[in-house]
Amino acid sequence: MRRPLSRREMLTICKGGFGSLAFMSLFGVGALSCNRSKSGIIESANDLQLGPHYLPKAKNVIFLYMDGGVSQVDSFDPKPRLAKENGQDPRSKFKVDATQFDNVGKILKSPWEFKQYGECGMPVSELFPHIATCVDDIALIRSMTSQFPEHTNANYFLHTGSGLQGRPSMGSWMTYGLGSENQNIPGYVVLDGGLIPPGGLDNFKNGFLPASYQASILRAGPQPVANIIPKEKIPNLQEQKLDFIKNLDNDQLAAMGEADAIESAISNYELAYKMQSSIPELTEFKEETEATKRLYGFDSDDPHTRGYAAQCLLARRLVERGVRFIELTCPKVNADRWDQHGNLKDGHERNAHAVDQPIAGLIKDLKSRGLLEETLVVWTGEFGRTPFAQGKDGRDHNPSAFSMWMAGAGVKGGTIFGKTDEYGYRVIQNEVTVHDLHATMMHLLGIDHERLTFRFGGRDIRLTDVHGHVIKDILA
Amino acid sequence: MKVRVIKMLGEFGKVIPVTRFCWMTCIIVFLYSCGNQNPTYEPLPKTVDFNFHIRPILVQNCYLCHGPDPSSRKADLRLDTFEGATAALKEGGYAVVPGKPGQSELMLRINHEHEDKIMPPPETNSKLTLREKALLEKWIKQGAEWKPHWAFIKPNLSTEDQKADIDEFIDRELSQKKLTKASPADKNTLIRRVAYLLTGLPPTPEAVNDFVSNTSEKAYEDMVDTYLASAAYGERWARHWMDLVRYAETKGHEFDYPITGAWKYRDYLIRAFNNDLPYDQLLTEHLAGDLVTHKRYDSETGIQESQIATAFYAMGEGTHSPVDVKQDEANRIDNMIDVTTKTFQGLTVSCAKCHDHKFDPITAADYYAMYGVMESTRFTPLEADLTYDNEVSAKEALELQEYIKSTVVQNLKTKETEKAQIDQQITPNTGSSFKKLGDFRETDFDGWKTTGLAFGNSTTLGNPILAQGTGKLMFLDAGRASSKTFGPGVLGTLRSPDFILENDFIGVRAKGEHSTIRIIIDNFQLIQWPIYGELTLAVDSKKWQNYKFNVEPWKGHKAYIEILPGTYNTHNFELSPTAFVEAEYAIAYNTEWPGKIPNSSKEDGTEFLGASEVKDVNSAIRHGEIKLEFPELLAAVDSSTQLSKPLKSNAFIYGVSDGSAIDSPVFIRGRYQEPSEEKVPRRFLSVLPEGDKPFVSEGSGRLELAEAMLHKDNPLTSRVMVNRIWHHLFGKGIVETVDNYGLQGKLPSHPELLDHLALKFQEDEWSIKNMVKYIVMSNAFKRSTSLDSEASKIDPLNTYLASFPVRRLESEAIRDGILAVTESLDNTLCGPPVPTYLTEFMGGRGKPEVSGPLDGAGRRSIYQEVRRNFLEPMMTTFDRPIPFTTFGRRDVTNVPAQSLILMNDPFVIQQSELMAQKLLEEPNLTFDQRIQWVYMRMFSRKPTENEISNAAKFMDTVKQMKASNEMETDNELDLWKEYCHSVFNLKEFIYLI
Repeated sequence: MRRPLSRREMLTICKGGFGSLAFMSLFGVGALSCNRSKSGIIESANDLQLGPHYLPKAKNVIFLYMDGGVSQVDSFDPKPRLAKENGQDPRSKFKVDATQFDNVGKILKSPWEFKQYGECGMPVSELFPHIATCVDDIALIRSMTSQFPEHTNANYFLHTGSGLQGRPSMGSWMTYGLGSENQNIPGYVVLDGGLIPPGGLDNFKNGFLPASYQASILRAGPQPVANIIPKEKIPNLQEQKLDFIKNLDNDQLAAMGEADAIESAISNYELAYKMQSSIPELTEFKEETEATKRLYGFDSDDPHTRGYAAQCLLARRLVERGVRFIELTCPKVNADRWDQHGNLKDGHERNAHAVDQPIAGLIKDLKSRGLLEETLVVWTGEFGRTPFAQGKDGRDHNPSAFSMWMAGAGVKGGTIFGKTDEYGYRVIQNEVTVHDLHATMMHLLGIDHERLTFRFGGRDIRLTDVHGHVIKDILA
Repeated sequence: MKVRVIKMLGEFGKVIPVTRFCWMTCIIVFLYSCGNQNPTYEPLPKTVDFNFHIRPILVQNCYLCHGPDPSSRKADLRLDTFEGATAALKEGGYAVVPGKPGQSELMLRINHEHEDKIMPPPETNSKLTLREKALLEKWIKQGAEWKPHWAFIKPNLSTEDQKADIDEFIDRELSQKKLTKASPADKNTLIRRVAYLLTGLPPTPEAVNDFVSNTSEKAYEDMVDTYLASAAYGERWARHWMDLVRYAETKGHEFDYPITGAWKYRDYLIRAFNNDLPYDQLLTEHLAGDLVTHKRYDSETGIQESQIATAFYAMGEGTHSPVDVKQDEANRIDNMIDVTTKTFQGLTVSCAKCHDHKFDPITAADYYAMYGVMESTRFTPLEADLTYDNEVSAKEALELQEYIKSTVVQNLKTKETEKAQIDQQITPNTGSSFKKLGDFRETDFDGWKTTGLAFGNSTTLGNPILAQGTGKLMFLDAGRASSKTFGPGVLGTLRSPDFILENDFIGVRAKGEHSTIRIIIDNFQLIQWPIYGELTLAVDSKKWQNYKFNVEPWKGHKAYIEILPGTYNTHNFELSPTAFVEAEYAIAYNTEWPGKIPNSSKEDGTEFLGASEVKDVNSAIRHGEIKLEFPELLAAVDSSTQLSKPLKSNAFIYGVSDGSAIDSPVFIRGRYQEPSEEKVPRRFLSVLPEGDKPFVSEGSGRLELAEAMLHKDNPLTSRVMVNRIWHHLFGKGIVETVDNYGLQGKLPSHPELLDHLALKFQEDEWSIKNMVKYIVMSNAFKRSTSLDSEASKIDPLNTYLASFPVRRLESEAIRDGILAVTESLDNTLCGPPVPTYLTEFMGGRGKPEVSGPLDGAGRRSIYQEVRRNFLEPMMTTFDRPIPFTTFGRRDVTNVPAQSLILMNDPFVIQQSELMAQKLLEEPNLTFDQRIQWVYMRMFSRKPTENEISNAAKFMDTVKQMKASNEMETDNELDLWKEYCHSVFNLKEFIYLI
């Protein structure tokens, strides 16, 4: 076997020199990004893992996570039959599966009206008047299914492709595959809107992939990332200290001869130092115009809308800086996430109001800047809700059908894919699984989901396990 | 070449200390290999060995389609056996004709020019190198000898090798590769290396001075002995072990519920390593500590240790309200099999869940044989502080109780008692049918099993109740299972055999206080709303009550009933001093509770009285026909009560006990919904010795599992453990894939050395400390890290150990090292965990209301709470694994978050200031002496002159900066804390160099 080169030899070979090497390491350079051929297409099968597998449509993903499970029949999948049979016993109409709360009430019509929007005429409920104005950019999937009716399993499943704790999340896989485009910001960022989904931070962890691929959690506020603000009160004192450290470290290194690990650790400090300035800069919106801010809803009366607007604007700024995968968690409105086991009307309205305008603002802003062409926006919960009531006025979890949508890079806007039964309870046509969703997202990023693997515990493991098909019908 | 390099990415990426290094390497090697078609390579070995040369080629390139798994086999050809490879091919010819490469179809196909003929097919992205082809050719020419996979052959050494020691094995390879050994490390480096690797803490400056100035020949050995004997040794090595068993103190998932007494298991490990518990015993206690006949007691406290180890089974994730409870059981068992087989055998048996293992000779039947073992095992709270004395007291109290009972009975039997008419009238069943699941109104528990002391050996039937003072026989007690054998507040469980739920309801007639009855379906424990809330009932009435459970939704599922004193408070087991529970019987029924449940009268032939006789006696006493006094027994009654007093339980762990023996079917494609018709008997792995013998014991067979692993012919158990020890000392195992010895694992770098250590370990009665010492005493361990450039060219990964590998300290050693050098380390051994310090970035359900202290109360990292959903950022950032499966080898990553912690984390800032404070408290130190004070603590050596002058310059600059910012400059603390903080950031502090 050929001997691997020492770092020193690499330094001499690599044109970029020291800086470019530092760049490779930090947020885990991607398995695929190192050596893209000019066409972007890989000619030889052996080049796998050395560039994207296909010409990518998307460079970045913004994943808008609707934690708790949005009701499909109240948002994007209108079911007139529910109104007709409102109040009747669902068990007399169809077979009802075991539910999480086992408190099956009557068939419950949607409290919201639907209208058709855009050139495509996609129906959207009153919950989302702003997103409704973007339907011509949206590919809607009404036939999503999950395997789990419990939040935590379903969250893990949606994020990692497995219902159990401990697998790498999709953001980790995608940065593992492609790396980050920015050396001063992590490649995989979670914008914590206030609610960490059930299952906790494990939804965003690297599992068995190296820790470099885990999400960095970004929060609003003076310290957006843990330990990002220097504690030195005197200007330049930290630089002084870092210089001192670097000098002594280099002396040590010189005495040691070959010590790649030490060299890498030294250069790691340079990056950490740069992050300190680039991250806080991100969250300062000084150069954003008032018009832009208004577009997102910065002037809303609803503090949750304003909060989510800031998250969405931050997401755009991260995209501009080349961050590969950005997930937004939900704001903490006063009605729990989207998980309305009771009081559906109030809860869904509060949640929708918080996210509707910021999301529409994000899509429009990305579009006007030409960024939507290379950014994939994904909107989904972990499962749907039942068409019958839980108790009087809630809806229970429903993994058998839910709606989600994608917009942007490589996605055919104005499409509706898949179909549920007349109650919106089960998928009857073109089922799309979570594995299919992952396969499609990866496909748009130029990754063949069957070929991006990592060996762990004696197996070559994929995000999509042994499943997943790219949903060709929604691709542009 | 390309192929090989790319294949390295997965497991190799974890081995090389710096991830980035690996990537770069790959790219550049790739670039280099382009256009380099020169077929010169390392000369072929004289004898081509199947295990070391051929099998790796076949595994990587062929076995996916021509391996052991029949479901994915193509063209009916298998290349994993001699028979398969030499069988006639469907299309004619033979894949391998021993001795005749020219006639071997295999050679033809790997050299084929046509895309649709060449093997491996282009779409697999695999391509054989010229060297690989040449190896195959030579091997066939030499007769194509097949051998079992190396790891399945018993360790074996040639006569010559039997006399060799570590250094001989290492040196042999070094001279073969023409590698020059690095010089021995200096004494400062050595003591720092030994202290950190043996105890996870830096040596004190005093220890360094003593060692450096000690010129005795035994100085090194004495120093090693000191650290081996230090209590900190157990803390370090227990934490290594905790990575294997996914140690956590909460269950994660939605609400992160606690795992009762997890930390007691952690303390068990610390004691086990400190007392050098032989490894065979450690293994047995883990797998079957509850079943071993000779329990082990801690010599100091007298606490029974054996059963505590079984807590490792219960360290898994706990699902909140799974809708599919059978699937949940399958997931849980899968995790238990995965952890058990990786930890003790270095095998990935879980890969055989859906189909036979793709690479290893592990069948799906093997997996489901183990599944039966785990399915027959029940989780249970166990007493954590049960002492030998208490066990003896309990035994004596029981003997006294039986003596009292038999004395009374004998007296009664000599009396002529009139047979009273037994009321045989039973209220007729009003159309309601029922089935009895257990009846405790006779003497025995009707086939139910108990754990713990509380329920004694029998029911209360016939226990004589004597009047105080006189000893007058008042009456004989009726029969019921009672947890009050030794009074209330004693732990014990009473559980039914498994049964299938066929009726709508389960009923238990019971009474008690602060107690619980639960219906356990498919071994599911986290019983609560919204789905399972009805399956647990609190028993809190001293009057007899009918406790009813609606189990209609779970008809057809396997279940058992659990009756126990105590409560699960959000799944944390608690036992009040007044808690007790008593039960008469349990039934299954539909619609209404049946009127009366007749006794199952039994002729058990014991010396004691049956229920009807007791009734007769009591009636006779009531009517004055029997008048007996036993004043002589009052002392015995009193003694029994006195003996029972200290038996109250107050500390618990969550471990296991045996349930009903269940053989599992194979789940086709891993789906429990598709069970095979035949069941697989519980047994060990068929490829290993004793592996095909079904377990014969009544319960799970876990003890037999332990015995099979410890069988003298087992090729893995010893190798796996010595390799783990080697890995922790050298930073890399002889087998790098420490948890995988299968065909996908790495081959040993020094196979004879591994066997030498494995055999020695067993001869040395499995002493871990002796093995650690043996390795640490070797010259290979004592070498310096400086590697000459020639050596690093020949052996860039330092596989052959010409020098000692540079390694970063683990997260725990970094944090503990900081505390140690600032003298703020509280070195209390063992005890409850320190609550996690919560940062604003840690959110989500189950978040504790109060954060723990920033400095973790100065306790070592092993004592900091491990909450699955709130893992400590400093620990995970420095690569402590996420606790979900076995991690025998940690990643060593290099990410900015690590630098940011050392630069800006409040803990590090706080400790820097503390260090400066301590420094300034030292009287009369010159500037140079101050720097030396710091260096001796932080780096176990004196500073160089250059380092001192650098420090002086730095301090001056800081002073000037403070002055120009109009800040106070004569505050020494302010200046020195900046210095101390900087020194914490030197690489030398977190690396062993």
